[in-house]
Amino acid sequence: MEARIGPSARVRGRVQGEGNLLVEGQIEGELAIRGDLTIAEGAVVTCEAVEAHAVTISGALQGDVSATSAVRIGSGARVRGNIRGTSVSIEDGARYSGRLDCEFELPPELGGESRGDARGRTSARR
Amino acid sequence: MAGTVIGAGITIEGDVTADEDIVVAGTVRGKLSTKESVTIEHGATVEADVVGGSFAIAGALTGNVNATERVDLQSGARVIGNVKAARVTIADGAQFKGNVDMDV
Amino acid sequence: MPAKVSVIGRATRVHGRVTGGGDLEVDGFVDGEVAVEGDVTVDAHGMVGAGVRGRRVVVRGAVKGDLVGEEAVLLEEGARVVGDVRAPRVAIASGALVRGFVETGDSNGVPAKVARPQVAARVAPPVASAPKPAAAAAPVATVASKPSSAPSGVNNSSANAGPRRPPPPVVPALKKVKGQVAKRKER
Repeated sequence: MEARIGPSARVRGRVQGEGNLLVEGQIEGELAIRGDLTIAEGAVVTCEAVEAHAVTISGALQGDVSATSAVRIGSGARVRGNIRGTSVSIEDGARYSGRLDCEFELPPELGGESRGDARGRTSARR
Repeated sequence: MAGTVIGAGITIEGDVTADEDIVVAGTVRGKLSTKESVTIEHGATVEADVVGGSFAIAGALTGNVNATERVDLQSGARVIGNVKAARVTIADGAQFKGNVDMDV
Repeated sequence: MPAKVSVIGRATRVHGRVTGGGDLEVDGFVDGEVAVEGDVTVDAHGMVGAGVRGRRVVVRGAVKGDLVGEEAVLLEEGARVVGDVRAPRVAIASGALVRGFVETGDSNGVPAKVARPQVAARVAPPVASAPKPAAAAAPVATVASKPSSAPSGVNNSSANAGPRRPPPPVVPALKKVKGQVAKRKER
């Protein structure tokens, strides 16, 4: 599934699938895809839970994100919700409010167990 | 310049332990200890027992000084405390109140 | 001559607080709060075991504590932070790792101009509404900004408003805007 929800489209309900999804319009409900999710500038996504592989946000998102790859929030984005991913980046200028939960250990001097695995492992809710 | 620099506006309350030169232009309250040199600049305030390789003091220090090599009190220095070092100089214009122990 | 930038050297450990004016670079270890008026940089080898507060806070090392920037907090590649992050501007590079609540100065999740139908919230009570003066009278499923977040973009850091909690799991909250009738629609 290579899907696109165009700028004038509004979806209310559950969106799920295997491929990538580009959202330019509005989604309200649930979103669970195996591919990459792109929320374009001007798009509005309001979901209790968003699941995807990689997530790139340039628009507005309200909801908790669980990604199995990187989450990128662009400078014009407005995001409210908790985020889990292998890596999370927020560009200067983005508006964000929520919890980030990357998996890593602090150095032992600060109480961490070991320097070891700096790669985040995500516990995706599936 | 390598080493630790405590600038004029900075205050450290606690213990400072180092393995490098320390320059204090601000305020340190607590303890200060290094293996290398300590410079207490004019205007600095140190309220601590200090331990180091060598000391160059032009500011205010209240506390005991323990140096493995030398302690130089420069003009403008105001030191209240005991000084223990192999070599000690007290320049004209330095104020000092305490004991000097050069028996190392 | 007094230094403008203070440095906690790589071979230095401070057990105590570091406060005051001017900029500070931490290459060593500080086991206590850092709160300065200038910019703070925790370099790649730097470690701070408590909160860090400054004008611009740049972290490339490890911090176990909250980061508060009067102007901005920038987490660069290599940063490892366990703690909350608050500033009008927050940037987090992809190589930076964070575990904590992050909030930028003005955190309105959904643009007010979007007209949305009222929808019954499925679960959970709506977050306490502190209505932002909406640009249009559109019914917006905005999870209202917490009262302590000033809408005009004033940063939160100086307010230091008590212990903050992460927001509850976000749901499209049913929000009654003055003058609007809340309609229940079929899903």
